[in-house]
Amino acid sequence: MSVYTESIGSIQKLDERAKTMPFILQVIMMTWRSLLTIFRTPAAVIPSLIISVFFLLVYDSSLSRASTFLPGLGDNSYLGFILPVAIVSAALGGAGVAGQSIVRDIESGYFDKLLLTPVSRGALLLGTIISGALILVIQTSAVMIVAVLMGLQSSTGILGILGVVLLALLLGTGFAGFTVGVALRTGNAAATQGASFLFFPLTFLTATFVPVSLLSGWIATAAIYNPITYILEAMRAMLNTGWDAEIMLRGLLSCVGLGVAMFIFALISLRTRTRLK
Amino acid sequence: MSNREVVAENLVKRYGDFYAVNNVSFHIKSGEIFGFLGPNGAGKSTTVAMLTTLGLPTEGRATVGGYDVVTEAAYVRRIAGVALQEIGIDPLMKSLELLTIQGRLFGQSRKEARARAEELLSLVKLSEFTDRLVGKYSGGMRRRLDLAMALVHEPAILFLDEPTTGLDPASRRDIWHEVRRLNRDHGMTIFLTTQYLEEADELADRIAIIDGGKIAAEGSPADLKSGIGSESINLTFTDSEMVNRAASELSAMVDRLQADRQVLRLYLTNAAAAIPAVVTRLQQAGIQPASLTLTQPTLDDVFLKVTGQRFQSESEQAEVA
Repeated sequence: MSVYTESIGSIQKLDERAKTMPFILQVIMMTWRSLLTIFRTPAAVIPSLIISVFFLLVYDSSLSRASTFLPGLGDNSYLGFILPVAIVSAALGGAGVAGQSIVRDIESGYFDKLLLTPVSRGALLLGTIISGALILVIQTSAVMIVAVLMGLQSSTGILGILGVVLLALLLGTGFAGFTVGVALRTGNAAATQGASFLFFPLTFLTATFVPVSLLSGWIATAAIYNPITYILEAMRAMLNTGWDAEIMLRGLLSCVGLGVAMFIFALISLRTRTRLK
Repeated sequence: MSNREVVAENLVKRYGDFYAVNNVSFHIKSGEIFGFLGPNGAGKSTTVAMLTTLGLPTEGRATVGGYDVVTEAAYVRRIAGVALQEIGIDPLMKSLELLTIQGRLFGQSRKEARARAEELLSLVKLSEFTDRLVGKYSGGMRRRLDLAMALVHEPAILFLDEPTTGLDPASRRDIWHEVRRLNRDHGMTIFLTTQYLEEADELADRIAIIDGGKIAAEGSPADLKSGIGSESINLTFTDSEMVNRAASELSAMVDRLQADRQVLRLYLTNAAAAIPAVVTRLQQAGIQPASLTLTQPTLDDVFLKVTGQRFQSESEQAEVA
């Protein structure tokens, strides 16, 4: 038995004089601070922007002829079909920014400093995740502009283009949550970078280059369970065939589901980190 | 009445089979400066991590300001200020940004946070450097900014984990001065870890010596030292015959004496006060000592006694290596 038990029980508590910010303000503040540092190192963002434009150019010029004999595509442009793949690839690359900025904060010790404040753990992680996703919006917009210059004609007009950007934002939140989780578990830049590649198979185990109807065998099965499939379909619908409530809903749910799951993963990773520390 | 106490009760932190902190208990009173003294790897930082909610205890419990560090962690964070051994500042930000965000997270309005930030920057003498990214600061400047960040919300209890490690002597004295001021003027309870004996001796009201994850001794610096044994007056003479004569003259005045060639050691409590009497007695007997020195037990002696080894700080180890 400890001699202090009695004294612990009888101790009076200090006033809870210090307040805290409302949750939403905490998220905004953490997002702002995260963006601030990201913009001070533009070199961290620019490569993935270039890569996604590169994907778009290469896929389109090497595969667009194939569209003439791809039965699932009908009269639609291959550009509108392949553009979502470039956007999803960009989301993957860009999401690494969020994980890397957590690693950077862990290495500088600032992450611990923030953990020592009353800031909500959720807000702390969301700030980084959202800032990563916002960077992605900028990237996606840039890719869209290049696509429009290449002759993209969205069948749902400007609203569809905005819809694609919104889906990219949501998807980016999911990927960013994943890299943040890995960053918290490993605290290591190389491991975080490596883990982002784990998502790459997901972009290929789906209707990447041809419509789902043309897939067969195990890839077809994998595509059914792959949330990316539905996100790509939703984006393609907006660009090529027009609004379709069911496709939109499936795409949106896939994004949100992925985002929520990855955010929970990140929160659990933070808890594990505290337990092991 | 406010409670600014820190209480640890059988705290354990285990990684696999390794006990980083092994059954540590202490009770720090309101307004006390508590020195947690130990060599590298003794478990100091791990203890701080648990007390400040950064790490979870494997066993045992602790309260800070009356709040449980596990179940009431959010309250602990509101009343505790922490400057860790690893400085926690983002090199890509500026001092005013860091301090303002810190203040806002502790519930200050934009205006309050800004005013407090400026006040603290002038306190730590960094007002001129607000335009510079903190990544460009020197080690001492970063340490001062880090301390300022820990003080943004006027914490009731301040945790300083090796606040002066790696600092030059002038910066170290600045930090000591500030620690005393915070304690005196604001009544802050201060939990200070250090690997410097003189720092603990200088600042702490009470000291716990931690070694291998366990507390080896605890008490005020004076108590710990007096527990080692009495002080001694050391007299040197020109020949051993004089040593014997002095010994017979002085034997009644001391607890114990020891002759060693030309040196005579007199062990007695409160030796400093006894020096005039010793000198007078020797003069009366016509004995002239060549030198007289006073030996007081140091914390190093305490450390040697409780751990069986000499205390070696990081810098000393580096010199040896």
